[in-house]
Amino acid sequence: MPASNSTSLYDQLVRVTHVYLGPAADRFIARQVQNHLNKPPDQLSKEDLRRLIDWIQVAVSLLTEDSEIVEEYAAQLSKLAQSDGTSKKSR
Amino acid sequence: MKTDKWSSYPTRHAMRALGILVFTYVILIFALPANSQVTRQYHLSGLEYHVLLFAVVLPSLAVWFTAFYSYSKLYQYARSIPKAPEGSDFKRLADGCTWLAWSLPAPAIISLLLFAVANTHQGFRGTAIIVVNYVSLLMPLIGFSLIGGAARSLVGRAKVHFKPSSIRAVVLFFVTVGVLYCYLSFRHLDLGSLGTTHNPYHLPVWLAVLTIIIPYLYAWFVGLLAAYEITVYSKQVRGLLYRQPLQMLVGGLVMVVVSSIVLEYINAVEPRVGHLVLNLKLLLTLAFRIAGGLGFALIAVGARRLKKIEEV
Repeated sequence: MPASNSTSLYDQLVRVTHVYLGPAADRFIARQVQNHLNKPPDQLSKEDLRRLIDWIQVAVSLLTEDSEIVEEYAAQLSKLAQSDGTSKKSR
Repeated sequence: MKTDKWSSYPTRHAMRALGILVFTYVILIFALPANSQVTRQYHLSGLEYHVLLFAVVLPSLAVWFTAFYSYSKLYQYARSIPKAPEGSDFKRLADGCTWLAWSLPAPAIISLLLFAVANTHQGFRGTAIIVVNYVSLLMPLIGFSLIGGAARSLVGRAKVHFKPSSIRAVVLFFVTVGVLYCYLSFRHLDLGSLGTTHNPYHLPVWLAVLTIIIPYLYAWFVGLLAAYEITVYSKQVRGLLYRQPLQMLVGGLVMVVVSSIVLEYINAVEPRVGHLVLNLKLLLTLAFRIAGGLGFALIAVGARRLKKIEEV
């Protein structure tokens, strides 16, 4: 998914998650950021991403036994971590 | 801890209500006098009659439990997403399932009581049948209407597309079901004299058509349409992991709606007589009641998994 400067990092995470969790995506990401990073979702930065993806992987593993889906989702999220120019906007 | 109490409230509330209903029902089965017609027909003693009646209703009690448990789980899920746009729709879905769940024990208890009175006062039999027929009609009607409203709202929110061919298939199915139901019902009515009450409904023909047959057709149409809309919604909504439990929930809902329709269909073919008859109708009724119970179980599992998404 191409990173857009007009979209925050949080929005991009939600957009990727939407493919897997549908209408629950926004709530899911907000909860992961708040519970595991102890910060409001709008303060999410690119430096937090690696840790957040690990937590998301753990959370999604609790929802499905299909490891392929979990890995595919994590890979999609990792692409966001590798892309640049988005974290500034997310602040 | 407060959150745990809040989220488990619907289950505790539903189980408490179910406990009271089951207790009342079982007490009534053993306490009310045995039906003399049944004891004569099957050569049973009073105790044997009560034990037989209890054995016959045992599967229904299991279905009641599943139904009450499932609507409580649906409420729990709806409560876990209070601010989400679809939260109110799932709440309405839970309301609909609550009416469908209560439509199992309520007519059963009322009919047990009223027909016990009718056994000793023959003149009361007609009133008992009329009351049981209306209670059996009204509760699913309200349930289907609520589920229909929820389905329409979910579909509208998700901008779901319907294939004209599948809509035509639903209409064709409904017309077939409706015409066959009318044919089966009208066999029991004297259409030559619209005012006569000599029919299984104990109502004038015109009143039976207006207040029983037409409302049933309406309820089934709403139920089938809701089942169709919500199925399409569950197939088109995004979210690989969200769709699986949702489809489970929807599959259960479809089973509940269809089994409810089939059960009323069976009553149209072989109208209520007010006492226990061991025949094919009873066997089919139990089979489709259990199918409905399995539907409620699927709803419960689907709702639990959806709720888990909101918890991790």
